Amino acid sequence: MRDIGLRMHFFRFLLLSLWAAAFGAQAGLPDYQSFPASGDRLVLWVASERGRAEPELRAAQRLAEQGTEVWSLDLVNAYFLPQLPSSMDELPPQDLADWLRAAQAGGKRVVVYAVARAAVPVLRAVALLDPAQRNRLCVMLMYPNLYTAAEPLAEPDYLDVGKLSGLRVRVLQPRRSAATPWLPGQLDRLALHGAEVSSVILENLREGYWARETPTEFEVAESQRMDAMLLRELNTWGCK
Amino acid sequence: MKRLLTVLALGLLFNAGGQAAGFEARERLPAPELRASDLKGASKTLADYRGKVVVLNFWASWCPPCLREMPSLERLRLKMAGRPLEIVAVDSAETLEEVSAYLSRMKLGFPVLLDADGSNTRRWKVFALPTTFLLDAEGRIRYVLTGPTEWDEGEALRVIESLLAELPQQGKP
Repeated sequence: MRDIGLRMHFFRFLLLSLWAAAFGAQAGLPDYQSFPASGDRLVLWVASERGRAEPELRAAQRLAEQGTEVWSLDLVNAYFLPQLPSSMDELPPQDLADWLRAAQAGGKRVVVYAVARAAVPVLRAVALLDPAQRNRLCVMLMYPNLYTAAEPLAEPDYLDVGKLSGLRVRVLQPRRSAATPWLPGQLDRLALHGAEVSSVILENLREGYWARETPTEFEVAESQRMDAMLLRELNTWGCK
Repeated sequence: MKRLLTVLALGLLFNAGGQAAGFEARERLPAPELRASDLKGASKTLADYRGKVVVLNFWASWCPPCLREMPSLERLRLKMAGRPLEIVAVDSAETLEEVSAYLSRMKLGFPVLLDADGSNTRRWKVFALPTTFLLDAEGRIRYVLTGPTEWDEGEALRVIESLLAELPQQGKP
């Protein structure tokens, strides 16, 4: 009987600890992994709703070795959320806005790199920044998904992400994606929110090519040189 | 209690199985324009298939679920030989070379059309691949399916047979 009582206490303690941990994780800045570097550029890498994959961490490490500091954020993990696009829509933009301000306060040139539906909380956070803070920021979106609904035979509906005036956005779109024919519509939508938009097509790649179950040889090779791709895009874009 | 739970569980299972394919019925919707070319470069429109039930499948050679359902589309073609059914596969936003590379490995007996610039994909509002439209003999959209299925059996076959049955005489096996 005493044994059962002890077990009950233990489970109560365990549940309380989990609740406290979840609450703690949601308060203030989200928990991120840092890859320090001495260069003057800081990339805020926000993983997709599917979570952070190993090749992304390796690329972040390699970027740091080449002088670009990276803060890597896995939102579904940080907020204990299911790996679903809708999870991204529920995140508190204020937390992310604070994170962006903290990054800018370091004095480095800050570039946010958000994957898939992570574009939504990132853009909503950017919309909360002062115009001067927003003007100093660059955002790269890897195959962003900004739809509320996209059903066959119907015009797509887009989420409201807020005011993006003065923000420079570059969209990276893998060619082999059902979203590629819809890229102009997404770019128009971002421009409508006030962003200065440009895009690049990544040939012979599919969405999430670094975490595919059956990747092509080319996708495997590109996963291993994701750092080079990002540096190339950053330099080509010339967001300064 | 145990029996009740078993009945509930079985009910859920059968219900889920019955809706697995997820065909959405449409109220005889006018179809958007289709302007594509076949692999030899000849222009094709929906008018080329008027008088037949049409399975219009948007796909791409890089899309694993699309390739998974292709063999069942070919089996459907063989099963329906001689009946007024046309299967048309519209490749979304790829080049002739990319499509040909796949077709050299997978022999398909139904027409494959190219939508190289993605304009048909946009006109038909296709946001996911595969997406398939079932058209009646008058060219109206009757069902839409997003995602893959086994076309030669189950709900897919029942839906196709129901459209063929609307055709007097010709629709019968």
